[in-house]
Amino acid sequence: MANVSLWNSKRGTASSSAEAVHQLVPRLAWGDAVGNQVRYLRDLLRGWGYASEIYAEQWDEACRDEVRPARDYARDAGRDTALLVHHSFESRLVPLVAKAKGRKALLYHNVTPERFFEGSDRHVARGSRLAREELVQLREHVTHAWAYSHFSVEELSAAGYRDASVLPFAVDWNAFNVPPDAALRAQVEDGCANVLFVGRTVPSKRLEDVLRVFTAYQRLYQPRSRLLVAGTLYSTAPYDASVLALREQLGPDRVVFLGRVDAAQLSACFASATAYLSMSRHEGFGVPLLEAMYRGVPVVAYGAAAVPETMGGAGLTTLSDDPAQVAGLLAVLERDPALRARVVEAQRQRLAPLGQQAVAQRVREALTPFLEGRPPSALQPATPSVTVVCPGFDAAPDAPMSRLARAVADRLPDARLWTVRRQVMPLQLAPRKERDGATRVWRFTPDEPSFGPDRDTPPSSSLETGVRCAPGPLLFAGADEDVARRTVSRLPPGTRAAGIWAAPRAPDAAVRQALGTRLWELTPGRDLTSLAGELARELDVEGRPHAR
Amino acid sequence: MRAEDLITTNPTAEAVLESLERLPTPEPEKVEALRRRFAATHAPPTSAAWPPFLEGARMKRDTRYADAPSSHRPLVGPALVMAKRAFRLAFQPFINEAFRRQVEFNEAILDALALIHEHQRVQARTQSLWRQEVERQLEQLTSRLPSPPPGHTPEHTEEKPRPAPSRRRSR
Repeated sequence: MANVSLWNSKRGTASSSAEAVHQLVPRLAWGDAVGNQVRYLRDLLRGWGYASEIYAEQWDEACRDEVRPARDYARDAGRDTALLVHHSFESRLVPLVAKAKGRKALLYHNVTPERFFEGSDRHVARGSRLAREELVQLREHVTHAWAYSHFSVEELSAAGYRDASVLPFAVDWNAFNVPPDAALRAQVEDGCANVLFVGRTVPSKRLEDVLRVFTAYQRLYQPRSRLLVAGTLYSTAPYDASVLALREQLGPDRVVFLGRVDAAQLSACFASATAYLSMSRHEGFGVPLLEAMYRGVPVVAYGAAAVPETMGGAGLTTLSDDPAQVAGLLAVLERDPALRARVVEAQRQRLAPLGQQAVAQRVREALTPFLEGRPPSALQPATPSVTVVCPGFDAAPDAPMSRLARAVADRLPDARLWTVRRQVMPLQLAPRKERDGATRVWRFTPDEPSFGPDRDTPPSSSLETGVRCAPGPLLFAGADEDVARRTVSRLPPGTRAAGIWAAPRAPDAAVRQALGTRLWELTPGRDLTSLAGELARELDVEGRPHAR
Repeated sequence: MRAEDLITTNPTAEAVLESLERLPTPEPEKVEALRRRFAATHAPPTSAAWPPFLEGARMKRDTRYADAPSSHRPLVGPALVMAKRAFRLAFQPFINEAFRRQVEFNEAILDALALIHEHQRVQARTQSLWRQEVERQLEQLTSRLPSPPPGHTPEHTEEKPRPAPSRRRSR
């Protein structure tokens, strides 16, 4: 069939239906969530009659037979080829995507924010930062975009992806039906209450909090308990060393770091576990949580990032990170059989809509417009209106900084006020325009329910990405907040930005240098009306008459 | 824990809280000791900045770019410096390639040194906390010992001094 239209030369041409649907992934690993998802999609696409291959720049030795080098894609692709680009870390594949023929779409797994790696792993921190820059660059080259959670879709929307939506995450439940390793099971089933955590040892997983909660559980509620940690641990890595040191400092008994385990050993861990504990601060989805549910292990999880969404109201999601309080939840699950049974049953019901047939159907429905070559909705150019960034507005709308932010936004036509949503909800929603009086307020989901010893406004990856992509002038209210520090030096060239700060905190040197003379101090007793007028005049580049 | 700190539909947050209340209340001393321990082990956030002693080496890690040394000779000196600069400018791509492995090695060495520094910092902190804990426990043990009768000092012991061991061996 003839081509329907030419969407955009950068995004690839549109034809009626793709003949081949390939996938591009920076690294194909054996056993990780991204690798499993890529393999699942390949099998699904082949089942639907498409030719489908996996292209990667690097791969594990175990995956050698099912992967092709990424550099070969440009040669293999044609006008009727469709490409699904998986993005979860720095890939350096944007140029390849840009010049490849055929249509392209993005599958976003989310990127762990760089703040978790600062001070512990500079290379990974840099990779995380560059991955977010690549996310913005990829926008010009793809026609469709999906993510595996509403939490991640929110960031895609903030980055300027139109019509980004959720693609159901497919879990291969059969892979969990492996008989448990008898030796390990006999070793850990000795009458102790076993608390399990599965995951990589990276700062975002907060193994130190897992250790603290377990120590509290052992000292306050169950002396005969054991912590099982399944995941690679390198004593030479700074973060891993700090975790091992913390174990020595806290001194709990029976903490077992199992390292990398095989499927049978993992089955043994789950089979002997009293509860699954996650204190992770960042998850794009959270497969181990669902795995624990599938295996009938009650889950206690800290409600950060996409965790509440993954849990879907099942298990016990806590918004408190106090070790003694979380330890209480572990104790309740062990000592109250009726409550435990209700939790396990609710978890089983949570998995009901995630059956493979149902998910495959939903994946097909989601991908069909892309596979059939239906053009996406027309892009509307973003209007360069003023954006007032006030992270604390939603938490403290009557604070002087919030009142000033509102006054500035109300003075400028089409201005919008961006803030961080105060509550964590089971299901995050993409930031939408909401009216708060006369002010257009966009509320972004926080990455964590609470943050820091002083309970500052929690960070929001979506807000930071949105600020980096904002088309018009920006006002940081306040300039002393983390979002200003992280974004002000990475704004697009020519962006007009100003800031205001209030004691006792002060903007750091980088913010002072970037904003220069466009930085004001909100001193106690200062007239907000006149200051708002002054700021509005500074930001309103077109010199339009102010609303008030 | 408050009901608003829990997200759960079945059982409800209230049901979980009721079950929490039925748990035996932990001994306050244990809770206090635990909180003290958590506070003591709460490590300050690691700085993203390089350790100061590595700053000098870090500034020199990139060997690809270096300005030609200046010269004090009146006429020949500036000409030589200019010639060296021109040479560098012309051959910079080749210089980059020749020194690429050296730069990678320098960065790897710097990372290794930073890692050793971090290990030492963590180790010192662990040792310090361990010593504090031992001292605290020693103090507790000492305070539990029965107080000696008034006027009783180690110098006033009635025990007779032992005779010094004889150097002469008996057969």
